[in-house]
Amino acid sequence: MLWLCIRLPALRHEALAADEDAALARLSAWAYQWSSQVCHRRGDESRASLLWLELAASGALFGEPTALLPRIERELREMGYSHTCALAPSPAAAALLTQGQTLRCLLTQAELSSGLAPLPLGWLELPSETRDALRSAGLSRIGEVLAMPRAALARRFGPECCDYLARLVGELSDPQPSFRLPEIYRARCVFDYDLHDTQGLLFPLQRLLQEFQGYLRARDRAVLRFNLELEHVRDARGSHAQSCLTIGLSSPTREAARFLMLVRERLHNLVLSAPIRALTLCADAFTTPAIVQADLFGAAEQRSDELAQLLDRLRARLGVEAVQGLQLLADHRPERAFASVPGVPGVTGVTGVTQALSGTPSTSSTPFATCAPRPLALLCPPQRIEAPAALLQGPERIASGWWDGGDVVRDYYPARGGDGSRQWVFHDLREDAWYLQGLWV
Amino acid sequence: MLSNPARTTSELRARLQQMTQRGPLGSGGSPALCSGHEALDALLPGGGWPLGALTELLSDQCGIGELELLLPALQSLARGGRCLVWIDPPYVPYAPALVQRGLPLERVLWIRTQRPQAALWAAEQALRCSGIGAVLNWSEHIVDRSLRRLQLAAECGQTWGILHRPASAFHTSSPAALRLQLQPLTEGLEVHIKKSRGGRAGGRLHVPLRRPVTLHADGSSDALAVHSAAGAAA
Repeated sequence: MLWLCIRLPALRHEALAADEDAALARLSAWAYQWSSQVCHRRGDESRASLLWLELAASGALFGEPTALLPRIERELREMGYSHTCALAPSPAAAALLTQGQTLRCLLTQAELSSGLAPLPLGWLELPSETRDALRSAGLSRIGEVLAMPRAALARRFGPECCDYLARLVGELSDPQPSFRLPEIYRARCVFDYDLHDTQGLLFPLQRLLQEFQGYLRARDRAVLRFNLELEHVRDARGSHAQSCLTIGLSSPTREAARFLMLVRERLHNLVLSAPIRALTLCADAFTTPAIVQADLFGAAEQRSDELAQLLDRLRARLGVEAVQGLQLLADHRPERAFASVPGVPGVTGVTGVTQALSGTPSTSSTPFATCAPRPLALLCPPQRIEAPAALLQGPERIASGWWDGGDVVRDYYPARGGDGSRQWVFHDLREDAWYLQGLWV
Repeated sequence: MLSNPARTTSELRARLQQMTQRGPLGSGGSPALCSGHEALDALLPGGGWPLGALTELLSDQCGIGELELLLPALQSLARGGRCLVWIDPPYVPYAPALVQRGLPLERVLWIRTQRPQAALWAAEQALRCSGIGAVLNWSEHIVDRSLRRLQLAAECGQTWGILHRPASAFHTSSPAALRLQLQPLTEGLEVHIKKSRGGRAGGRLHVPLRRPVTLHADGSSDALAVHSAAGAAA
């Protein structure tokens, strides 16, 4: 067993969490990506909160704990949590070592005994009366306390004192209540000031998203969407307004950087109805992450991944309805022969999640494979025009739609406009009127 | 693999020739995309449309065959698995025609912003993405700075940016690699090369375009074609 202990002296304040427990739960879920044994102890006015990760079992996955440690510390720094870390074979010793200003790693039992010995007695987590009594007996170092006969210590200070020392040096096992990952994710930031613009949300969001990334890695899951709930300041009528932003992704994702980019695009256009007091990130539907493999088709995979990211960004900024794919419909009336779909072209085959153009009739079963050429540009609705000067060919009669009330009888012609433009016009036989419906662009 | 060394050598020679033809200013070695119009390819540096750059089509008219001119190149981009993006076109990109003309719909993206700034932003994002082949843009007024951003984005993604601009835009400077003025002719387009980076400006040519009518295999043209769906849904 090798325990990493992280001391978090200002956790609640830095996490902007409602209480210490909520902050610890968030950070424990984040830490779970590196260890399947995570536990924590809530701090109070006199003690800092502590978070433990058992790293020996993670060695196969992440390499030596001493190599993993810088990664963990870097993320803590990026998220803006002040902390001290220590590594030791027992949880109690790791916690004790975090009281130092510098990083201490005691990896073996032998290192532990020699490393603890010179430390001041005051670091021991014993009642202050016990420590005072030990000091008055002329002891000042931990090594001196450990050298005392345990039976004598137990008689003088009670069995708890001996238990603690035995757990400290690893003579007694020290089972910790293990943290369990929640099935749905919910993390909340409460601001102790009013946020008036969305720029101010970015820093707390960055941290929330990085914690979220840790949670997703821990569960080996990804998301296709998550929600941000913004709680507004009470308005004049005293009601709490809330707005919810859904961030959608076209491929399963768990990278915080990608989340942040989309959130940033989304916030760019957002006008706040009232200042914000709290922010909640939640996700309840998870999926298998898309693994981009660097194989023979790596370039194509990367390209479609880039495409998926582009579509997400466009939709986050412009809105879902602004980004459209096209599909054919089996109808002879030109204006009803297609539909725009909020689809994801080009990436459908890759992720298998967004079947954007599913249900598209194949081209051979539609009238278009055999019908006369159609122009690439359609005017919706058709423009009423004077009878055109030059009809190039035709007509192609389209008579259809009597069954759905959109009955048309039209003769279509390619024509040339007075300005040299290449037009697609029809003569409506019912109205006896001419319309411009397309352009041969 | 080298069963036909003669062919391999000739291919290599052709490529070498293509590379040397590109002038000293040849857009940093960016590749060219065959336009499918021989007369035009002959006048363009590298033998085709400049990829990783902007192409301006200057004309005051819509519907003179401007897209038809680009179509062979767009088809080859789509065949290569790259997407084509229409940003705020002044019309609906018509799906049946796209399919007829060999542009698969799963490669077509239609973006509707109706806001000039958003359209430029979307164009820049799309040009930057290597999964995109070409971006078609109709922004009316683009300031120089925006043009430069688009040009940089196209270089970055090695994509083809196509700007439909009014003829008057020619009098303002532009970082576009290619600027073509288009005039309608009865049977095609007159293309006037106003600017060609790494090539020669001033060339004029006549590009014949496919007529919007079908000629059947026997040479006869379309007679009255009646599509009557009466009873089809009954």
